[in-house]
Amino acid sequence: MRWILALVLALAAGTGALYGLTGGFTVLTAEAARRQDVARHPRAIPATEVLAEDGGVLDLRQDLERDGRVAIVNFFYTRCMALCLAQGSLTERLQQAIQARGLQDRIRLISISFDARDKAPNLIRYAARMGADSRIWQFMSFAQPAQRDAVLDLFGITVVPAPLGEFEHNAAFHVVSPDGRLVRIFDLDDPGLALSAAEALAAAGRGGQP
Amino acid sequence: MSMSGRSGSLPWWGWGVAALACLGLALALRGWLTALMSLHMLVQIPLLVLAGLFAEQAWHAGRNRDPAGRPRPAWSYNEYGIPGLLLVSLVGAGWMIPKALDDALTDWRVAAFKYLGLPVCGWVLRASLRRSNVVIKLFFLGNFCWMSAIVGMIYLDQPIRLCNAYLQDDQDWSGRGLIALAIVLPSCWLLAELKPVWRFLNR
Repeated sequence: MRWILALVLALAAGTGALYGLTGGFTVLTAEAARRQDVARHPRAIPATEVLAEDGGVLDLRQDLERDGRVAIVNFFYTRCMALCLAQGSLTERLQQAIQARGLQDRIRLISISFDARDKAPNLIRYAARMGADSRIWQFMSFAQPAQRDAVLDLFGITVVPAPLGEFEHNAAFHVVSPDGRLVRIFDLDDPGLALSAAEALAAAGRGGQP
Repeated sequence: MSMSGRSGSLPWWGWGVAALACLGLALALRGWLTALMSLHMLVQIPLLVLAGLFAEQAWHAGRNRDPAGRPRPAWSYNEYGIPGLLLVSLVGAGWMIPKALDDALTDWRVAAFKYLGLPVCGWVLRASLRRSNVVIKLFFLGNFCWMSAIVGMIYLDQPIRLCNAYLQDDQDWSGRGLIALAIVLPSCWLLAELKPVWRFLNR
């Protein structure tokens, strides 16, 4: 009955391959895999220079620490005609929720452009278009391509050039702690979950520093 | 998958050249072939499988050049090819998972699994088909085809991108391709195996 042994081995090898490819039968897409992995192992953001709306250059990590609020981060580019607009209006709703619930001293929103063409004037125009309250919602753009690639890689954002000078990219709400760690990722369909996770993180942070 | 048990018409080196051509194309054009999801799934991966399949064909044809031939072993680990076909089916299912396609571009382990594992699967597939009969072939082919058609329909239906590295449009084309594969593959098989199928039906 050697062939039964072979059958069991083939089943084990094939199932093992499927196990390996699906992160232990838990995920079918790379997007789900990155969300699950970040939830299990938060990732520290490296030192990254970003352009701010006022034209200045600041270090993202230092800015997070100095500001002290939990940030909900997403990535976009100002010329985007599709996904970013949806993401933008959802972020605007998040801003309204933050204002309505008086969370602006604990939670803020950051949108970072990955398009090298986006400078301060583009960011200011976009912020105005989105009705952003600059105390709650800040817009930034990467200052250096190498650092941009490192941060996008860390966040698990894949940017694919598409026809007509557009980009396709995965979008989500990224909850980032003041000490510069990416803690959780939520779907664009779940802004409420992102907000409550950020609230819980802010509350935990306050508990730590009475 | 459409080839029958009889030896092919090409000499052994002909199959060898075909195997090397498939492997060479899949490797040399890998930048271009992995730029689109549809080419990655429906051209590069099949080329890698075909490379293994033709290599086995070459090996088999080369071994049987001597008309006396070697006696068939009294037993086989791959009886009726069932263990081999099971393995190939599971690995085939694995390469329909969007995460596998994304990871093959970013994770060297998955890339190694693709470039080494798929030719091995092709080899196992050919060797297993050689040992199996029409009922077993129909079972595994049928399974593969409904899986391919369903995955293709899911790809076409998804309003969101399943692969971070590929565009939505391209995902739709992959879906159409998988559905086409589910129609073309059994049609080719039926044409190639018309005689044994006919014999089986008229038994």
